[in-house]
Amino acid sequence: MSARDPNAVKTTIRSFILSSIAVMDLDDDANLFESGIVNSLFAVQLMTFIEKTFAIEMGMDDLDIENFKSLNATTGFVLRRNGGPGG
Amino acid sequence: MWQPLTDWHQSKYREFTAFVARTVAPCAEQWDRDQRIPDAVIAELAQCGYLGATLPREYGGQGWDVVTFGLLNDAFGRGSSALTGVLTVQAMVSMALLKWGTAEQKRTWLPPLAKGEVIGAFALTEPGAGSAMHSLVTEVTEHDGGLVLNGSKRWISCGQFAGVFLVFGTLGQRAVACVVPREAPGVRVTPICDLMGFRAAGLAELHFKDVAVPAANLVGKAGFALSHVAPVGLHYGRISTACSALGLLRGCFEESVAYAAVRKIADQTVGDLGMVRSLIAHMGTDLEAGTLLCHNACRAEDGHLPEAFEQTLMAKYFTSRAAVRAASDAVQIRGASGCHGSSPVSRYYRDAKIMEIIEGTTQVHEDILGKMFVARAGKVGTPTRSA
Repeated sequence: MSARDPNAVKTTIRSFILSSIAVMDLDDDANLFESGIVNSLFAVQLMTFIEKTFAIEMGMDDLDIENFKSLNATTGFVLRRNGGPGG
Repeated sequence: MWQPLTDWHQSKYREFTAFVARTVAPCAEQWDRDQRIPDAVIAELAQCGYLGATLPREYGGQGWDVVTFGLLNDAFGRGSSALTGVLTVQAMVSMALLKWGTAEQKRTWLPPLAKGEVIGAFALTEPGAGSAMHSLVTEVTEHDGGLVLNGSKRWISCGQFAGVFLVFGTLGQRAVACVVPREAPGVRVTPICDLMGFRAAGLAELHFKDVAVPAANLVGKAGFALSHVAPVGLHYGRISTACSALGLLRGCFEESVAYAAVRKIADQTVGDLGMVRSLIAHMGTDLEAGTLLCHNACRAEDGHLPEAFEQTLMAKYFTSRAAVRAASDAVQIRGASGCHGSSPVSRYYRDAKIMEIIEGTTQVHEDILGKMFVARAGKVGTPTRSA
């Protein structure tokens, strides 16, 4: 899977999110943290997944809810960090 | 001991258990009675590099993998839960700073933490906010380009002797974490004595009255302290506590089988009694299951896998509860002698219960794990759509 292919990145992240939360499907722009569908560990699990899957080391500068609030936001963050089309 | 382990892991485990047999086990009862761990013992931990076990070498740490860190806590948990608490808290503060600290914060704080020149304390719990982290009322305000803290923390392990605190509070509506040196004006430390267990772990209340620290002491960004900073520390706290509880469980098992093999009742040993065999069977099986859970959790963390959080929750949930059962049964097997300080099982009994409370109570673990399992087993509700 290319970390610069928007569709592949989004599919990979969607699969992880759906494996972690109690919903059948996920709108690309649904706010994960305001909807109440994630548990208290989801934020760090998502962070760890992104770091491991896309070889990204996240730090303090990446702590911005705009980077992770939705599937689209997270996909955009990964693409920007990997110099893909979202960057 | 955990299997399969590499030769190096086995070698380190032998080193740790030898240290505990020589330096910890003979003194643990006295520390418990004194409600204090001598400074010289902390210094020896530092000398051996145990206080910087998980920190990278570039900061003066050992750079050990998490499996080794787990083995360290397992070995120490067999000797003294209170002393293991120092390893726990040092890792919680160190790893939160390693992950979310600025380059300057890491340069400043990680080398002394790694070398044990300074002990850290994780100042999260408040009189009105334990499991409910979002109820924090410690107030952080911005003033003259810096930060000012007002509030109190309670049940803070190592608070009595820590040199630096990672303090959680709220800046307006946003949760924040910041580094506060013990010597900062306005910091007051009140020892908490006469606990049931962990009596030598140096628990304290921390009071902050108009404590000024530079804005550069903020760890992570405002608003992310409870979602990202605290969970990293608590995760390592749970790894440590899970393995420490496993060590305590191991102690209960070893003390029980040794006693059952030699203690005579009329013409048979205690171990000949079916009821006692039943207790020991439960204990030994829990020990094996707990070992595997801890091993899996540590390996998942070494692999930087997202499931490490879930596996650590399960390990801590299981071993802390199993330790409570085992300690109760170990006292029961020994009878009156198990109720006296001449046997470690009386201390195990008191310490084990604390394990079910720290780094998230058993009920908090059940709530999180239950929700996870339900989510995985069957998707509920309607698809989530954006407004």
